Amino acid sequence: MPTPSTTTETVTLTIDGQTATVPKGTLVIEAARQVGVMVPHFCYHPKLTPDANCRMCLVEIEKMPRLQTSCSTQATEGMVVKSSSSVQAQEARKMVLDFILANHPLDCPVCDQGGRCDLQDFSHEYTATSSRFQELKRVFPKEYFSPLIETQMNRCVQCMRCVRYCDQIMDVKALAPTGRGTLTEIKAFGAHELDCEFCGGCVQICPVGAITSRLSMYEFRPWMLKRTDSVCGYCGDGCQITFQTKDNALIEINSTQGSGRNNGDLCARGYFGYHVSEHPDRLTLPLIRKGDEFQSVQWEEALELVGQQLLDVKAKYGADAIGGLISGRCTNEDIYVFQKFMRGVVGTNRIDSSARYGHLNGVHALQRVQGTHRWSVSFEDIESADTLLLVGTNITETNPITGLKVKEAVKRRGAKLITIEALNPAIGSISNIVNLAQQHLGVKPTGFSTAILGLLKAVVEQSILDAELQGKAPAYFNAISARLQALSWDAIFAQTGLASDLFTEAAQVFGQGKKVVVLVGPGVLRSEGGFGMTMNLMDLLLITGKLTNPGCGLAPLAEENNDQGAFEMGGTGAVLPGGTSLGDPAVRENLSKAWGRPIPDTPGSSLPQLIEDAQQGKLKALFVVGENPLASLPPSSGIHSALEKLDFLVCQELFLTETAQKAHVVLPACSYAEKDGTFTNTEGHIQSVRTAIDMVGESRPDWEIFSALSVMMNNPMEYGDVKEIGKEIRNLLPGTRTLGPAPLPAQPDSSAIARYVTTDYQRDIAPRYQLPVNDAATDEITLQVSQSLFHSGKFSRKAKGLLQVEATGKIYLHPEEAARRGISDGDMVKVSNSLGEVLTPVGLRERIPQGVATFPEHFDEEIRQLLPYKVDPETQVPYYKLARVHLKKVVGS
Amino acid sequence: MLLEKFKDEVEEILSRYPVKRSALLPLLNLAQREEGFVSEPAMRDIAKVLELTPPQVFETVTFYTMFNLKPIGKFHLQVCKSLMCALVRSDDVVTWISKKLNIVPGQTTADNNFTLSVVECLGSCGTGPMMQVNDDYYEQLTEEKVVRVLDDLARDGNCHLKSGPFMFPTTSGKSR
Repeated sequence: MPTPSTTTETVTLTIDGQTATVPKGTLVIEAARQVGVMVPHFCYHPKLTPDANCRMCLVEIEKMPRLQTSCSTQATEGMVVKSSSSVQAQEARKMVLDFILANHPLDCPVCDQGGRCDLQDFSHEYTATSSRFQELKRVFPKEYFSPLIETQMNRCVQCMRCVRYCDQIMDVKALAPTGRGTLTEIKAFGAHELDCEFCGGCVQICPVGAITSRLSMYEFRPWMLKRTDSVCGYCGDGCQITFQTKDNALIEINSTQGSGRNNGDLCARGYFGYHVSEHPDRLTLPLIRKGDEFQSVQWEEALELVGQQLLDVKAKYGADAIGGLISGRCTNEDIYVFQKFMRGVVGTNRIDSSARYGHLNGVHALQRVQGTHRWSVSFEDIESADTLLLVGTNITETNPITGLKVKEAVKRRGAKLITIEALNPAIGSISNIVNLAQQHLGVKPTGFSTAILGLLKAVVEQSILDAELQGKAPAYFNAISARLQALSWDAIFAQTGLASDLFTEAAQVFGQGKKVVVLVGPGVLRSEGGFGMTMNLMDLLLITGKLTNPGCGLAPLAEENNDQGAFEMGGTGAVLPGGTSLGDPAVRENLSKAWGRPIPDTPGSSLPQLIEDAQQGKLKALFVVGENPLASLPPSSGIHSALEKLDFLVCQELFLTETAQKAHVVLPACSYAEKDGTFTNTEGHIQSVRTAIDMVGESRPDWEIFSALSVMMNNPMEYGDVKEIGKEIRNLLPGTRTLGPAPLPAQPDSSAIARYVTTDYQRDIAPRYQLPVNDAATDEITLQVSQSLFHSGKFSRKAKGLLQVEATGKIYLHPEEAARRGISDGDMVKVSNSLGEVLTPVGLRERIPQGVATFPEHFDEEIRQLLPYKVDPETQVPYYKLARVHLKKVVGS
Repeated sequence: MLLEKFKDEVEEILSRYPVKRSALLPLLNLAQREEGFVSEPAMRDIAKVLELTPPQVFETVTFYTMFNLKPIGKFHLQVCKSLMCALVRSDDVVTWISKKLNIVPGQTTADNNFTLSVVECLGSCGTGPMMQVNDDYYEQLTEEKVVRVLDDLARDGNCHLKSGPFMFPTTSGKSR
């Protein structure tokens, strides 16, 4: 649907006798929907451009010759439309149905769509009981299509919605309508099975049962399903999902068109990754270590032991000998109660969450420069931006739905896209955002910081500067200019391979933007210097005068579904709920008054600090909730020896993870499908998570376990249900009151900006504005351990659907890079550096730049031993995603 | 690789169009001219040059009956099945050929000499029923005529009953 112009010009028309006033440019079919007239259709979909191929939506329009397709006709002033009141239109629709039913099989009883099928509904409405056609129906031979998606082409009504969705929305173009006329059939490529993003969009958008999901095939009838609206638990996009359950079993997930932050679109993880909650390996009872073995016990025994042990450690070594670590996959309520438990009951601020792995870099940069801990933009601002800058996002694989917003802005609304990505423009089986870029600055994953400086240098050289701010803070501008002048274009070229004119062009495009959004991804946030790079991007927005303009801002992308919430709920030690500082006595006093418990004034500590203290014997007990640091961090972080030195390790988990296997007590928690609560997505939107299935075994929601422990420790924090926690949070934090459909994005705080440009920038401008040392040997390759589209952490490896698409790790190389080294697809190679060596198979991908290899982090059990570990001095974020390695083909493979 | 072998010609084709994907049909023609059919590697190569996905090339190939997705015999018998020819019994032409060569549409004879296809209108409606054999037209077909064409082709590799096609000369003097 073409976007109606933003002006409020309206037209008034009559549809079936009812008057509708709609914005100019609205399609007749949409205008009709607004006054409650449902015009039947197959090929029309609000997300797609009109195709008018199915002819089902014909209406009579006065003064127009012949019937018109209402899906491709714009409403005009005074138009008189007849839909159900037109005999002629009704007859025409009957004929269209007759043509469709001439070939459509009557296999509704075995069709998964039966009961929610548009064709079934319309056939019923138009009582198409007889047919003029006596010929045989067309029959396509049944072909295997893909492991997750089933096609039954005899049922196809050839509306081309799936093909158009795959192209227009997803930009994947994996579906081919082959042949012509009535024999048109949706296929992949030749006889090959489908190889695509597996977003499930074609399944969701098919009006009939031609494309269905194989994961739920033949398991349900739609009217047996119970619907539960919730939020996806994989990435930071925070997509609305609807669990469809039958007798407490998860049958399928879908997302209602137009609802949620995702507008009904999902990715492979969201659509096919729901089996985690029902995995047979789920923990059902608390476990207590007896020697080398675990013994199942009842809750009372386990809780008593944990409570007693924590009290003992506290009595013997002090409260700060106890640390806590919680996952950003937990709900806000869980994280809030956890930090309240640790601060108020245990008496320590030594807690951390998975936001530490990278999201904190973004949040701290926002807080420092613009005084907010949330984006100052929303998804709508991305869609309506006129210029977008993506830095190190690999957005298709990390945050696919935010990626769809970028595609919408660029493909449909003509936004200009500048990308600084470690990707080559290349067509592949999944979409590639840099193919859409007007200005692509391709660098290695180690080159982001230099490329950002290059862009800044070009901006300064072109004088694309905010004169007003420059007048107010000349020293800030001069300091930046002087440092950028000291960097030579030759040095920038040497590190990025990009000449100065590329940066100049990109800077000009950036400077011309009125609504500019900068998206920052894990390539920046999770690699060395991440905080400095994010700060430099803030500088870029600030000196060009964009930062404070409406619709402009920096948007760091969160990897886990509630990384943002983990920060806001006080899940990182030095930050109290609401993003306020632990160091502020007034804040502390307010909070301890509200809680009725003192808040310790000891410093909070980060995960790297906890590891170090455990190694030195200063940390004696660790409470790990939903995190798996043994599998997340590389051995070079010292996590193994740290955990071994602990006197007491408690893990609260869904599965017996690597870390849980080392624990003294394992408490079974329930997954997001079994509890209520809220998640805060990457843009700061708080959304409700709802219970879809019963708790598995004896597992309990995380908050309930903390609450029970507090009782065991004689310092009870009791909550009747999750709503009480929500209420407490809302009373405490005014900013979280905005649970609802459209929160306004945070506004940059001018006093914070003023503080930054006058004094605060001086603190670290020197290290931020210098080029990194480039010490790569010539035959070395930069290995990036990165996120794959088909997985999320190690968690999704329990999802059988996703394992059908990607089940093992491979090291991916550019075909030419591989050819130069005599390596071909599928060969085994030895990957080595000073930290170790690993054997792994090779895969080839044209999107990977030369001199770079990537490996999916979800399968990094072995390869992570090659990763060096470094901690950000400012934000304490551990960096361990990049390594320099040698590659050698294993002879005989 | 096809595109390396005919680098100059590919570049000349690409230079004709302001939008890259417009060059799809000429490139497919080139691929078919080279191999007799459009192979999967050729489709992948073309997709890469035109910045399309392989399924997008594949769907175009399947739309046109003139493109073959399988290797074909030495002579490709393409019988027009569109309305005009059908009215003057083009299906009889198919039957005569089937009887003579013992193949049905879509098949190739065992000696790899003939492949039979039925195709959409070839623009020779005034002279139907008709068929195209490789680049030549044979019009106003009768059973006798069909048998003679097939015999001549099998024996001599040529038949003087052919009547076309008539190509417009290009600027370079060669016909395309």
